[in-house]
Amino acid sequence: MTGYAASLTPAHEAFLNDLFPGDGCVLTREGMNAFATDASQERAMPWAVVRPESREQVAELLRWAHGERMPIYGRARGTGRVGNAVPSLGGVVVSMLRMAGEPVVDADDFVAVVRPGVVTADLQAACAAKGLFYPPDPASVRISTIGGNVATCAGGLRAVKYGVTRDWVLGLETVLPGGRVLRSGGRSHKDVVGLDLTRLMVGSNGRLGLITEIIVKLIPLPETSASVLVGFADLRAALDGARAVFRAGVLPAACEFMDRVTLEAVRLGGEAIPLAASAQAALLFKLDGTQEGVDAEVRHLVKALGPLDPVSVEVGRGEDEGAVWTVRRGISPAAFRIAPDKLAEDISVPRGRVAEAVERAHEIGRGRGLIVLCFGHLGDGNIHVNVMYDGSAAGEAAAAAGAKDEIFRLAVALGGTISGEHGTGLTKASFVAEQLGRDAMGLMDDVRRVFDPRGIMNPGKGW
Amino acid sequence: MGGDCILCGKCLEVCPLLAATGREELGPRAKADLCALLAGDDSLLRGEDAARLAGLCLGCGRCRKVCSQGVDVPGLVAALRGAHPDFRGWLWKTWLTHARELWAAGSTAARLIPGRWRPEKLGPLLKMLAGLKGGPGLDPFLTPTTFPDTHRGSKVLFFAGCTATHVQRRWLAAALELLDGLGVEVLPGDFGCCGGGLKAAGFAAEAGDMAARNFEVWRAAGRPGVVTLCASCLSGLAAAGEMLSGDEADAWAGALTPLSTLVRSVSFRLSDDAPERVGYHRPCHADAGDSDFLLLREALGERLVAATDKECCGFGGVMRLARPGLGDQVNGRCWERLGVAATVLTGCSACAAQLTATAPDGVRVGHWLEAVG
Ligand SMILES: Cc1cc2nc3c(=O)[nH]c(=O)nc-3n(C[C@H](O)[C@H](O)[C@H](O)COP(=O)(O)OP(=O)(O)OC[C@H]3O[C@@H](n4cnc5c(N)ncnc54)[C@H](O)[C@@H]3O)c2cc1C
Ligand code: SF4
Ligand code: SF4
Repeated sequence: MTGYAASLTPAHEAFLNDLFPGDGCVLTREGMNAFATDASQERAMPWAVVRPESREQVAELLRWAHGERMPIYGRARGTGRVGNAVPSLGGVVVSMLRMAGEPVVDADDFVAVVRPGVVTADLQAACAAKGLFYPPDPASVRISTIGGNVATCAGGLRAVKYGVTRDWVLGLETVLPGGRVLRSGGRSHKDVVGLDLTRLMVGSNGRLGLITEIIVKLIPLPETSASVLVGFADLRAALDGARAVFRAGVLPAACEFMDRVTLEAVRLGGEAIPLAASAQAALLFKLDGTQEGVDAEVRHLVKALGPLDPVSVEVGRGEDEGAVWTVRRGISPAAFRIAPDKLAEDISVPRGRVAEAVERAHEIGRGRGLIVLCFGHLGDGNIHVNVMYDGSAAGEAAAAAGAKDEIFRLAVALGGTISGEHGTGLTKASFVAEQLGRDAMGLMDDVRRVFDPRGIMNPGKGW
Repeated sequence: MGGDCILCGKCLEVCPLLAATGREELGPRAKADLCALLAGDDSLLRGEDAARLAGLCLGCGRCRKVCSQGVDVPGLVAALRGAHPDFRGWLWKTWLTHARELWAAGSTAARLIPGRWRPEKLGPLLKMLAGLKGGPGLDPFLTPTTFPDTHRGSKVLFFAGCTATHVQRRWLAAALELLDGLGVEVLPGDFGCCGGGLKAAGFAAEAGDMAARNFEVWRAAGRPGVVTLCASCLSGLAAAGEMLSGDEADAWAGALTPLSTLVRSVSFRLSDDAPERVGYHRPCHADAGDSDFLLLREALGERLVAATDKECCGFGGVMRLARPGLGDQVNGRCWERLGVAATVLTGCSACAAQLTATAPDGVRVGHWLEAVG
C-alpha cells in the first residue's frame, strides 16, 4: 500500500493538538521516544503520540487518519516481543493507557466489561474480589493490558485447561478507519448469528481497528491449587509422563516442561530448587479446583507417573506452592549464564510432536555450534526455543539467525506454527507467507481491505 | 548505572507515576532508555529537554527493586540532574542544607537565594517548602504498658533525621522515651542529614560529604547499632553504605535498625478516645519487612482499616518543585486507597509532610510516634 502521508504537516499538528488537548498530544522527540520501541527492542520514531480518553476521540481520530492516509499504531504497555507496536513507517501512535478505569464485574451475567488500558492483573483482581475468575495469564499479566492481550490473543501457562484470550472474549467495541464504531458480540455466552467478527478482531494486532471496550466471560474462582514438580532421567520419559497424566483423566491448569540444558542453566545460579540433581528433564504441573478435587488429582497424577520412574516428585501446597515454581521463574535470567545473547522463539507444534521438535531443535543448534534451550507449555505444544549465542564472537549472530530460520521451518513442517503467542510483528514478518501460503495471505489482505481500505492500521507488520 | 535496560517492561508494574498519569514517557523504562540514548550521544535528542523529562521522577526506587538487569533508574536520574543543574535543584539543596533556618518561625528564606535565580515562580515554591514542616500533630492514643528486657543494656546511636531534629521535636522525644523504656542506652553522636534527598537531586558530592561525616560519628562511637525513625533516612543511610568497603560495609548494613523493630516487643494500651479507623501509609522507602506496619498491625488490631501498598504519597523530592501537578496526581491515588481512615499514620518524614499538606477535611496525619505517649 503506497500513498501514505509523508510527514506531519502543521495542519495535522493543529488537528491533533485540538482533539487531544493538554498532555494528550505529544510532539517532542524526547516525549515520543518511549513510544518508538517495545520489548522487542525494535525502534522507529513516531511523528506524534496521542492519548484518547473517549471512544469519540478515537472515532474522530480514525476519521481524520483515513482521510489523510495517516498510519496509525495502537499501543498499550509496549510489552510485545516482536515489535508489533513499533511505528515502523512513521505516523501516529495511539496510547490506550488513558482508556482505563474500574472494570464492571457482573456476578449474575458472569461477565466483566473493561476498557482496553486496564492492566490484566487488575482486571483479574477486580473479578477475584467477587469470587470470579478471568483465567488467561500471560507471564506479562501484571505489566500488559487487556486491550493488548486481546489484540495479540495472548496465551499463558493456563492455556492447556482454560484456553487463550480468544476463548474468553464475548464482545468488543472497535473503532474502524473512517470513524465507524463496530459492536460485535455481547454479554451472551452463546451467539451463532452472523460471522464471528469478535474472534476476527482478537489477535488482529491493531491491523483492523482500535478496540475501545471489551466484554470477557468469567467463571467461578477456583477454591485452591497445588503444584507438582517432577524430575525425570531423560526428556522422553518426561514427555511420556505428561501423556500418562492426561490419559489418567487429569487435566492440569498448567503443564510446563524443561529440558536438560534449561535445568543446567538454572542450577548454575546456585539457588536451591526442589528437584533431584540427577534430573535431566522436568515437568511442572499446576492443578486447581476445589480442595477435595485438587487432592484427588494430585493423587491420580502421582500414581500415573509411577511407571515412568521419576527421579523426584515435589508437591507444593499453600505457601509452599511458590517454591516449586522458582525453577520455572528462574529460566529467563538463567539462560544468559549459557551465553550473553539469545534469540527467543515461541513455536507451537501438535502436542504429539513436541519430543521430535525439541530433539531436532537441539540438533539444529549443535549443527551450528550453538546451544539451544527448550522449555515451555507442553500442555498446548507451545515450546520456547532459545538459541544462545555470543554476538561479539565472529559469525555467531549469523549462525543463530540461520538456526532460527531452520527452527521456523521445522515447526511448519511438523504441522505447527512459527508463533504460538507472541505474533509476528516486525521480527517474524518475513516468514508469515511461508507458513500461511499464497491463498490464505491473499484472503487475509482482502478481509483487511474491507475494514481498512487504505491500509493505515499498523502497517508494515506480519499477520 | 547497573546493567543495560532490555526494555522488558517489568518495572512498569510498580511505577506510581505511570499509574497515576497514564503517561508512558514518565515510566522507568522510558527513563532508562532516554538515559541510554543520551549516554550514547544520540544527536537527535536535545540533552536539556531529555534530561528535564527523565528528571520527572519521584525517586521512589520501586523500579530498581524489580529490575532483573540491575538498572537503577533513580540513580540515572540523579546523575542527569547533576549534569543539568537548574534553580529548582539549587533551591532544594538549599532547603535540605539549611532546614534549620528555613523552618524557623518568620524565616525569610528568600535571602538565601541569589538574585539571578529569583523568577516569579520562586514565591510559590518557597511557600511549598515552608509547608513541608508537617502538621499540628496527633493526640497520643497508644500508651506503652510493658517493656520487655530483650534489648535492655544495649547501646546504640540514634539517627533522628532533619525533620525530627529541626521541627518535629516531639518525634524525637517520643523515640527517646521508648528507647529509655526498653533500657537501651543512647550514645552521644551528632549525626547530620542522611544525604538521600541531595543524592537523588544530583548533588552526589554534597551527599557524599554528609555520609562521610555520619560514618565518622559511627566509628567514633565504636560502630554500634544505629536506630532510625524515618524510612527515607534509613534508606538514604543504607544506600550511602556503598561508599564503605568489605567488613565495614557489612557492619554498617547490619547496624542500621528501624526503631519499630525494637518497639514491636512493647505492649500498648489503646486509650478510650483512640480513633476507630486508622490508615497506614507505607513509604516507598520502607524496609523490606515494613516493620512500622507490623508494629501498628499488632498495636491497633482491627482499628487498622486501610493500608497503601503500590501507592506513593507523591512527595517526590525535587520533582515536587519542578512539577507539583504530577505529584498531586500520584497523591490523589494514595488518598483513594486510604479511603475511610480518619487518622493516617506513617513512618517517613517526607510522607508525613506530604500527606499532612494534602489530607482531606477531617483527616489527621502523623508519624506513628505521635500516636505514642
Ligand atoms: C516479560 C514478558 C513476558 C511475556 N509473556 C507472554 C506470555 O506468556 N504470553 C503471551 O502471549 N505474550 C507474552 N508477552 C508478550 C506481550 O506481553 C503480549 O503480547 C501482550 O498481550 C502485549 O500487551 P501490551 O498491553 O503490552 O500491548 P502492546 O505491546 O502495547 O501492543 C501489542 C499489540 O496490540 C495492539 N494494540 C494494543 N492495544 C490495542 C487496542 N486497544 N486496539 C487495537 N490494537 C491494540 C498494538 O498495536 C500491538 O500490535 C510477554 C512479554 C514480556 C515482556
Ligand atoms: S529498567 Fe529493568 S525492568 Fe525496566 S524495562 Fe529496563 S530492564 Fe526491564
Ligand atoms: S523511581 Fe519511582 S517514580 Fe521514578 S521511575 Fe522508578 S518507579 Fe517511577
